Amino acid sequence: MSLPGLISPSRVYACTRFRIRRTKLLSREDYRRIMQMSVPGVVTYLGRQEDYQEIMELVADYSGARLIEVAANRNLARSFQHAMTIATGELYTLAGEYLARWDIANVMAILRGTTFDLPRQHIRDLLVPAGELDRSLLDHLLGLTTCDEAFDALRGWRLYPVLEEYYQICGEPGAFARIENRLYMRYYAGLLNLVASGCSGCAELNTYLRFEIDMTNMKNLLRLHCGEEVCDITTVDRTMIPGGRIPIDIFRRLYHAETEEVFTGILLQTNIAPTLARAVRELRHDPGFSSRDAADLIWQRWHQHLRPVHEIVMAITRIRLRELESLSRLHSFSVLPMLAYLERKRYEVANLRAIARGKAFDLPPERIWPYIVL
Amino acid sequence: MASSDIKPTRSGLMIVKRRMALAERVHRLLSMKLDGMMLELIKITDQAASERRILEEKYARAREMAAIATMMEGATGVLLAALSVEAVPTYTTDYKNVFGVRLPELEPLMVKKALIERGYGILATSAAIDDAADAYEDLLSQIIATAERDGMIIRLLDEIEGTRRRVNALEFKVIPELAELRRFIESHREEMERQDIVRLRRIKKIKERRR
Repeated sequence: MSLPGLISPSRVYACTRFRIRRTKLLSREDYRRIMQMSVPGVVTYLGRQEDYQEIMELVADYSGARLIEVAANRNLARSFQHAMTIATGELYTLAGEYLARWDIANVMAILRGTTFDLPRQHIRDLLVPAGELDRSLLDHLLGLTTCDEAFDALRGWRLYPVLEEYYQICGEPGAFARIENRLYMRYYAGLLNLVASGCSGCAELNTYLRFEIDMTNMKNLLRLHCGEEVCDITTVDRTMIPGGRIPIDIFRRLYHAETEEVFTGILLQTNIAPTLARAVRELRHDPGFSSRDAADLIWQRWHQHLRPVHEIVMAITRIRLRELESLSRLHSFSVLPMLAYLERKRYEVANLRAIARGKAFDLPPERIWPYIVL
Repeated sequence: MASSDIKPTRSGLMIVKRRMALAERVHRLLSMKLDGMMLELIKITDQAASERRILEEKYARAREMAAIATMMEGATGVLLAALSVEAVPTYTTDYKNVFGVRLPELEPLMVKKALIERGYGILATSAAIDDAADAYEDLLSQIIATAERDGMIIRLLDEIEGTRRRVNALEFKVIPELAELRRFIESHREEMERQDIVRLRRIKKIKERRR
């Protein structure tokens, strides 16, 4: 236990290690170089990197873009599990809560695979054991024949109460989507609760998380409004994540807004329009793009029942990450350096995947570049 | 009764004439059916060509959307979303009657789905997955529409081939043979009539001589 006002040496050590690990991630120059390479070239380049030894381990089993993706996923799992060994105290608790995202993805893949009786090796390849549920437990779950057995085996998991609450019959239509949505809501609630308990950098992290929730809600609202059959308000209520800076009621009002004035008026009261304007200014090199223009842009897509533009979503993610990094530099020995590293690592893997897959589909570098988060 | 069994008599001639009239009527009807089917075939072929062009466009779009979804979510994310599908898309089959030909009509079933019917959690996926799912649903609908047109064309071509064979058989074999048989019977009957006249004259002369 450390005295108030003093930072424990273990915290200083952990934060310094996370900062150093972050500097070792692939840089903008690395991405520019990789972007000019072919898929085998990328494999060779990554194989020479100290941090991507998984490439050499997997080269006999996989090839091309699949090799890069599987190796990057395994690298992510290894890096996150290593991060858990560095983190101590509240850093450890926060890292554990943050990494529950991968547990959710793994558990849902296993439950769906078991219910639909898919080949176990096929499911195993999809798992990224970066969270609390390690490879041995996931392998045990994969060995079970029914989803009832899998549910029973998950009793010790921190998110098991959600499964218990929403699981009724194995394979019930729509049950998995409902459970998955609830698991993610509980995931965000858990993170927000932990952050609200008070720690160094938690106030900033709280703002970061709440903004992420707002953006996710806005994107999902656009997704739900898209399509020939617009969903009802109860679906919107079930899908919005509580805890963001924008209350769910604002999203309800947006959903019912029928004129441009009402819609943009509500939107301009939120923090979405300014961030979107900043993202579009960066993406299109248009310094005159205002919040009002951003609100109009969202209205246009809303009115035409269109989904969010992927490139703009990625630009917003870039802005979010840059803000997290600048905050982590301001609060050097808080939870933020660890979160900044974990998020950067997550997007490094996403970037490599985007490059490998984009190249496998013969997309030109200028088409792939907007999907890179730097 | 086969043509060879028909005797060169008046009743035989009547049978031949009846058959001839029937063959000509059938030929006329089959020719009309053939023309109608050809017109229908041309119409469906034009539609099929345009459906196939749309199919190619939709396939290219689906590939592009899959590429973007795979870039954003990884093959893992796309596969996990694909594994979530609970209602397997299918189609129902019906038939419509065109000139007596049963042409297939395929109706997509559970192909186009709303976001909440797709089985994946909205919070675990991005709009790229929705775009890819939309594009593949469109592609699947188009595949069914194209298969329907192709099925129609195949059935129509089969029927056209059979009808053309029947028309040709009537035109180049049955009707000419019946015409030939009618001519033969008519000439045979004329010959018989002439023989009868000659015979009657000779009988008349014999009777006059005896008197």
